[in-house]
Amino acid sequence: MISELRGWASSAYNWMDERASVRSLLRKGLYEAVPVRGAWFYTLGSATLVLILLQLVTGIFLTLLYVPSVTEAWQSLNYVRQHDAFGSIVRGIHLWSAYVLLFVIGLHMVRTFFSGSYKRPRELNWVTGVGLFVLVLAMAITGAFLPWDQAAYWTAVVVTNIASYTPIIGSFLRALWRGGDTMGPVTLVRTFGIHVWLLPAILFPLIGAHLALLRKHGEFGSYVNYRGAYRAREGVETPPAPTQRRIEPPYPAVPTDELWAAPLETEDFYPYQTFKDGLVSVVLVAVVFLLAVTIGAPLEEAANPATTSYTPVPEWFYLPLDELLVLVPQQLIPLVLVLPAGGVALLLLLPFIDRDAERNPFERPAVMIPGAFAVLFVVILTLLGSGRLFNL
Amino acid sequence: MAVPDRRLSRRRFAILGTQVVAGAVTITLAVPIVGFLISPLFRRERVVEREVGNVADVTGPDPQKFIVTFPQNAWPVPDVPVAVYVVRVGQGYKVLSNVCSHMQCPVRWQPDLGQFLCPCHGGLYDRTGLNIGGPPPKPLPEFVHRIDGNGVLFIQNRFTEQI
Repeated sequence: MISELRGWASSAYNWMDERASVRSLLRKGLYEAVPVRGAWFYTLGSATLVLILLQLVTGIFLTLLYVPSVTEAWQSLNYVRQHDAFGSIVRGIHLWSAYVLLFVIGLHMVRTFFSGSYKRPRELNWVTGVGLFVLVLAMAITGAFLPWDQAAYWTAVVVTNIASYTPIIGSFLRALWRGGDTMGPVTLVRTFGIHVWLLPAILFPLIGAHLALLRKHGEFGSYVNYRGAYRAREGVETPPAPTQRRIEPPYPAVPTDELWAAPLETEDFYPYQTFKDGLVSVVLVAVVFLLAVTIGAPLEEAANPATTSYTPVPEWFYLPLDELLVLVPQQLIPLVLVLPAGGVALLLLLPFIDRDAERNPFERPAVMIPGAFAVLFVVILTLLGSGRLFNL
Repeated sequence: MAVPDRRLSRRRFAILGTQVVAGAVTITLAVPIVGFLISPLFRRERVVEREVGNVADVTGPDPQKFIVTFPQNAWPVPDVPVAVYVVRVGQGYKVLSNVCSHMQCPVRWQPDLGQFLCPCHGGLYDRTGLNIGGPPPKPLPEFVHRIDGNGVLFIQNRFTEQI
């Protein structure tokens, strides 16, 4: 019986393989060589992917209950809150996995920055990654508009209004987004379209490119995987022969050139790296699920443009920008656009500015110190903002 | 040595012609898409006038709050409420919007401070709507208004200055 099933499965597999090359696709996907040292840090990328896919799945199901209209958006979610426990959990997962995603994608970026993995030949991995980071932030901020409760409404007012401080075309941009000078039905429909179609249509192909580039060049990992190679170049010591890779090496067979250096020790992506990836993702998804069930996604009172008592509190990921809005004096308000735009531009240019082959973070002070200050700046803004809003 | 034939062959002409036509079709398709996207920029907002109340009710120096409903832009949905502050200035009145000139947050009158306070980023305005502290770059917007012979105040859903 079992052997019969096995025989049937194997012939089905062979049938598919003859037509769609599943065998070589699987081998290519699973038997990539990955540097051994620091492999737990590489789980941040796969965790980001898992959380984005969780967003996709829960997001698709949320469109089955949510109505993108100013008169019904809040009503539909309020109905779910009162009468649909599972729908509330789906909404909770969508919210909390977005929060965790923003955190994890940030860590992934910091890790890549720290280990210098953006250097030749992986510049485009970094550039696509910066694009993905910006798109995820855009998804988060457009998603925050959609419940059309008080929190959502005032977030929408402030965020669309920030666009109006763009030099020259500011008020056009705001009108384009709002569908008029003031907030209205078009504002919500346009933001919904941007959130569920426009941004994902760019996001998912970009993920494909990011992963294809990763597979093309392999994980760089960390400089610790290349120590022997560096020393060998300086004639100090002969490195041990690198572990033989099974298929299509993106690394050279011998660690000769540190730009293209092969890590001294690698292991197969499957099952070693996938075990670590799986463990981290399972823990994160479990945390998301628990938060979704216990805390869930809040829904405040329906949007009321005439309020004189509601105090808008921004989403936590948007706190640094909100604190900037408080600190920047009235003559310099466009700074709140220039600073983030300049930051993104610097990130995109990073691999083309920092072209030195050196990957050791402690040997790259010219990059690490400004980077540390930038992170510190964002952290301080967040702390100031939370202190102001929550009287910490 | 053979001289290359530079004349346009019929085949080459057909290929080039198809590419040109395909390009023209693409551009033509983009026209309605871009056009409908930017259409709100050219739409004239419907101007309506609503009754606020009688100015005789505005006693004392403090701004008094009224709620007025205005239509929203685009297709018909229920009118939305808007907060309006009416304040005596000399012999006349100012009709102030509670939309902060900084990020359009909902400003409120704080009787204890004697000032308008914006809850978002701490903007402050005096009782006549003049920005006196924090990040707001301009005074509070003023509604276009008129007062009839009986002292009834009417406002339009537009401001004296573009915001």
